[in-house]
Amino acid sequence: MRLMITAGIDVGSLSTDAVLMRDGETLSQIIINTGAMARAAAERAFELALSAAGLQASDVDAVIATGYGRMSVPFADSQVTEISCHGRGSAWLSPKVRTVIDIGGQDSKAIRIDGKGNVVDFLMNDKCAAGTGRFLEVMAQRLELELAELGREDQQAARAAQISSMCTVFAESEVVSLIAQGVPRPEIVRGLHRSIAERTAGLANRLGLAPEVMMTGGVAKNPGVVRALSEKLGAKIILPPEPQIVGALGAALIAQQKHARQSV
Amino acid sequence: MMDVEGFMRHMLCDRQRWDRVLSSPLTYTLLGGVLRLTRGNWPLDAMYQMGVFAFNETGRAYVGKAPVVWSSAFFPVELAWGLGLCPFSPEVAAAYIATLGFGEETMSMGEQAGYSRDICSFHRCIAGAASAGNLPRPAALLASTHLCDGAPLLFQNLAALYGAPLLALDIPYNSSPEAVRYVAGQLEQLWLSLADVTGQRPDRDKLAEAVRCSERFRVQMQRVNELRCRVPSPVSGNDMLGFVYLFFVGQGSREAAEIAAGLAKEIERRVAGLGRSGQTGTQTEKYRLLWMHLKPYYNNELMKFVEQDGGVLAMEEFSHVYWTPLDPEQPFLSLARKTMSHFAFKPVTERIRVMAELARKYRVDGIVHFSHHGCRTASGGALMIKEALRDEGWPVLVLEGDCIDGRNEACGGMLTRMQAFLEILQERKLGCAL
Repeated sequence: MRLMITAGIDVGSLSTDAVLMRDGETLSQIIINTGAMARAAAERAFELALSAAGLQASDVDAVIATGYGRMSVPFADSQVTEISCHGRGSAWLSPKVRTVIDIGGQDSKAIRIDGKGNVVDFLMNDKCAAGTGRFLEVMAQRLELELAELGREDQQAARAAQISSMCTVFAESEVVSLIAQGVPRPEIVRGLHRSIAERTAGLANRLGLAPEVMMTGGVAKNPGVVRALSEKLGAKIILPPEPQIVGALGAALIAQQKHARQSV
Repeated sequence: MMDVEGFMRHMLCDRQRWDRVLSSPLTYTLLGGVLRLTRGNWPLDAMYQMGVFAFNETGRAYVGKAPVVWSSAFFPVELAWGLGLCPFSPEVAAAYIATLGFGEETMSMGEQAGYSRDICSFHRCIAGAASAGNLPRPAALLASTHLCDGAPLLFQNLAALYGAPLLALDIPYNSSPEAVRYVAGQLEQLWLSLADVTGQRPDRDKLAEAVRCSERFRVQMQRVNELRCRVPSPVSGNDMLGFVYLFFVGQGSREAAEIAAGLAKEIERRVAGLGRSGQTGTQTEKYRLLWMHLKPYYNNELMKFVEQDGGVLAMEEFSHVYWTPLDPEQPFLSLARKTMSHFAFKPVTERIRVMAELARKYRVDGIVHFSHHGCRTASGGALMIKEALRDEGWPVLVLEGDCIDGRNEACGGMLTRMQAFLEILQERKLGCAL
């Protein structure tokens, strides 16, 4: 009997991720920039994932799209929210996880899951860019750093600068003032990470933090934010091998379960 | 092709032309004819009847057939009906303005008049429409101090704007016999003052008749709510939310009582399988929801999305008949008890208790608390409500949004929250993957 092949496509605001799975085994995973065309990004990510796995689109039994652009994936069989997908993906990676913190490009979420990865409750902040990947992008630009360099810069700080505003625009003004005052760049970076951690911990605590905690989304690649958040929550944070593909992974897993049910 | 939207926008800003059109009986003759042609297109005939009632009342207010009194959302409007006045709900008017797509311009006018964007958008919209002179001129304004802190303050400003008296009803935060007598005494005084300022003769028989109509409305809406316990739901709760007009404006009128009776009969026929096309209920029902507070009235996909995904509003907080029978022989005491007994004008535990009771009675799968930005009364306790109802076993979504102002909303985020919530319900209900 041929094993089932499923795909998960996560069209996020900054990156589009694709995961191909065969019976619980990851065949390929791709991360590309979304750019201005969500549909084109989804098609490209799918093509790249197929190519990496040496497959054709016709080999795939089911595709589930997720992320803010989930409705822009014409070849998907169905759409599931990134909230459910991050929950399912996290539980598959680490079954003891009960709280998922996902900080993406344009929003942040705290998700409570049960042992099967089903979402029990969630909170989502998408009212402003503060506490999201976009916030870090803007600040990195102002500090003349690459996004990926922020974590390293944080490690060189002796202390954290005080960033009091949670608004991206006002925080940027504060950063400009701190630069003018000659505050070392690593301290500013640590201050920024602490401000994100403060906001995210508020979201997670409002939901009710239950161990174990996993962090997903692109911002989880920044060790400065992860450390600050771990300190703020007073909890160890588990990191997946590739935090950015957890949504797509969850989508592929849900597709597998759904398709299996329909085939019975 | 005629630019209807542009024409309406122009009208909104041209007070004299607006006055001429809205105060002309011809307008209502013509539009009334158009409304009659739509009768077969309404999901419920009672909705059409309510549309006619609202339309006629709007005409009566603008044409000036009877003195107009503005009443805030929870004021016992039976007093106005009992004097043959024309009650007008500015909150309902704000909802209509938003539905017609003119909320943003109207709110901007309110903001330019000095109302902060932090206050309730219903109130900003009313203030804007009033400052532009687009609402029927009140002979008096009626506001109660309970449930909505903003209304009496707004009404005070508007009373000054129109040079009309504000008659405020002070509701104490307890329901002791002394407090009930205090409110009943105020109601009697207020009724006499209202008669005086509007030039009406205070007729106790007429007031008793208004209370009798209000009691008939209560009984019929209770009948409707009993019928709605059926699974699948015999009506769309989204449609039922439209009947909030009768709750705010109609209580005490003969028409509201008749519409409620017609609605009950219509639902009875549906339940018996005798409705249009033999329809017996909401056939696509997958999840039964209890809906707290109101919904977005501006152009927003939320309610359509809920229904498309199989979500049915099995019951709404605003449709709940919470008060006890009214005695026409004791109108002031009855109305005092009714006004003071609102479950949300008590510690939040009472609102939780009532919602849990409704959730059980209507066998809902989940509860949505639509947290309207400007409503501190409703939204203030949202997290406590969520925790308490979640502890009793229902998934609860606190959905932050706005009923009138769509400018601060990312529709995508709202739909994602709603879809994720329905996914939780699916997992729980069907016990299987999404």
